[in-house]
Amino acid sequence: VRFALLSAAVGLLVFLILFQQALFGSLLLSFTGALENQSGTVLVYGAEARKNLAGSVILPPQQQAVAAVEGVGASAPVGEATLTVEAGGDEVNASIFGFTPGGPGEPTRVVDGRMPTGPTEALASKEDRDAGFAIGDTVTSVDGDVAMQVVGLTERSRYSVSPTLWVTFDGYVALREAANPDATAVLPSVMAVVPAAGVSPSVLAERITSQVDGVEALTRDAAVAESPGVSATTTSFNLILALALLVVALVIGFFFVILTVQKTPSLVLLRAIGAPSWYLVRSVLVQIALVVVAGVVVGLALTFAAVSAISAGLPISVDGTTFAVLVAAVVGLALVGAAFALVRVARLDPASVVDPEGRGAAS
Amino acid sequence: VKLGLLELRRRPFRFAVAGASLLLLSVLLLFLGGLLDGLYLGSTGLLRAQKGDLVVYSSASNDSLVRSRIDPELRSVVDGVEGVSSTGGLGVALVGGRVPDRDELANLSVTGFELPVASMPSDVALAPGQALADRSLEAAGVEVGQTVEVGSAATPIEVVGWVEDTDYLQQGGFFVEPSTWRLVLGQSRPDSNLPEGTFQALVVEVDPGSDPTAVADAIDAATAGATSTLTIDEAVQALPGIKEQNSTFSAIIYVTLFVAGLVVALFFALLTLERVRLYSVLKAIGASSRQVFASVVTQSVVVAGLSFVLGAVIMWLLTLVLPAEVPVALVPSRLVQTGVLLVVMSSLGATISLRRVVRVDPASAIG
Repeated sequence: VRFALLSAAVGLLVFLILFQQALFGSLLLSFTGALENQSGTVLVYGAEARKNLAGSVILPPQQQAVAAVEGVGASAPVGEATLTVEAGGDEVNASIFGFTPGGPGEPTRVVDGRMPTGPTEALASKEDRDAGFAIGDTVTSVDGDVAMQVVGLTERSRYSVSPTLWVTFDGYVALREAANPDATAVLPSVMAVVPAAGVSPSVLAERITSQVDGVEALTRDAAVAESPGVSATTTSFNLILALALLVVALVIGFFFVILTVQKTPSLVLLRAIGAPSWYLVRSVLVQIALVVVAGVVVGLALTFAAVSAISAGLPISVDGTTFAVLVAAVVGLALVGAAFALVRVARLDPASVVDPEGRGAAS
Repeated sequence: VKLGLLELRRRPFRFAVAGASLLLLSVLLLFLGGLLDGLYLGSTGLLRAQKGDLVVYSSASNDSLVRSRIDPELRSVVDGVEGVSSTGGLGVALVGGRVPDRDELANLSVTGFELPVASMPSDVALAPGQALADRSLEAAGVEVGQTVEVGSAATPIEVVGWVEDTDYLQQGGFFVEPSTWRLVLGQSRPDSNLPEGTFQALVVEVDPGSDPTAVADAIDAATAGATSTLTIDEAVQALPGIKEQNSTFSAIIYVTLFVAGLVVALFFALLTLERVRLYSVLKAIGASSRQVFASVVTQSVVVAGLSFVLGAVIMWLLTLVLPAEVPVALVPSRLVQTGVLLVVMSSLGATISLRRVVRVDPASAIG
């Protein structure tokens, strides 16, 4: 019973760790997948936006100045806005990306269908195909004036945890003007840039920031990592993960110490009748391994059950590598936690069997 | 009970397992709760601070303030609905602000308003180019008397006072009169420009004695569905991510509480196993199962309580060193709720030992 209880506790902790990580990974991907999986290796933001795509605008003189910076191979405007659209008979909030087909900033993970070729065609995120965003579906602005037909699907390219549509920049302008007829101009949110041959994205980003007034250029990786909320979410989840891993080590460690103390007289007796230390240590190690393996199996089962049961607008997916690393960390920490018990077993003094108190552990 | 407390005092190390585990779990619970509260408070302040009862959005906006637009015609229809006492225009522009002597820009929620919010005097009057800043912006270097350059057009706005708990979507509240807001919006976000008289939303005060929900329905009926009218609570819940945040964090918190109960159950089950002989002696000399069990539960409550207090202190120290971008808020009600739940779960965990305690046979004391 006691081992089953411990395995259950470890299983729940493993579940807590794995589920949080699955949630974390999926959340980040749904937050910034669109930035990660577009072709511009440098993104140029308006400086006052503080790396926030939704708050960024690039003025026409800045667009020209960016294109003229030495080392820029190609540049193109990218617009982003969250708008209400009608899809599948419902009004839903969707993140709209306007890009130039064939230019920097186009989506790189088109998994079905084709790229849009005109302002009435769109790519949609595959994760939302059952919500009115499948190939052949029509998505319209709320007033019905602008209609887009879905001609292809992307994967891992959502933004801001919303259904994401990729449309030509003309289509983007049309949708924004439909949303606000009083708009005086529809400007790009960022400029997507590809460096010329032999120029690295990081060098080019620094060069653009220093040479063009009022902009901040970031490499694609930096744009993803420094998106608003990403670093805060990463810090928070890492802290939660560290605490949960510590609890695993502590629970397993103290459990086996108590067990060892409880069994000391029997273990000393075994030592006295000739059982070598390594034999006892090996037995405890086997127990630890069984408990941890059972816990990991329980944790994995719970995680997969939870992942398939929960949707809540966020498709949660499992990353095998991350899970393998975390399971290895749990096993490693379980061994570290149990080290005290193992040392105690290894140092048992067989002669102490004659001690009437039966305190055999070397002190 | 006294025996249990005496043992806790004399052999505290025996309870280190449960204590240390519960301490870590307390920190984890408080961190999760603090994060949830921080995200909630920093996103919803603008709406919670409203003194009005209802918020009216245009129906095409899907209850999003920044996408909503209420023009003067629509407003006059709302004004005429029975039960509406007064209406006030409301609008935001989420922009960066350049604070004097600071390299980092401040995240501002420039808010144009007509009805004062909770922390403002009721006769507040701002001139164009003046602002009341949220206290949270002090961390970004904002001071009264400063001129902050707001948005991509660097519109100069002078800070003339403070408001509290008015942040919106993690951006510091920066309250200005409507024409200043409209100027910032048009200059910094030309695609979101709104003409004179048009606001993003209306805050509605209902007549005393009127039912706000009924008035909300009447407004939407009067505008023939052109509006979506929500109570303040509904408007808060309609903010992007609020419901999802709440359900996700709550699920993690409840699983963590369950783990806490399990840890305590595990620990006291082991402790009871070790003490079967001792309990049989206690029972042989007249102690009842209830007394023995009360001693076990008391120990679990004390261990959980002390671990929680220490965990709260550690969490408080943690908030001092965490980067400002991690929006953790320690709210007294959350502290009390977490402490009570942890103690309750620990007590429940300890009750797992009840069956074994009851089954201890006093006769086994003599072998």
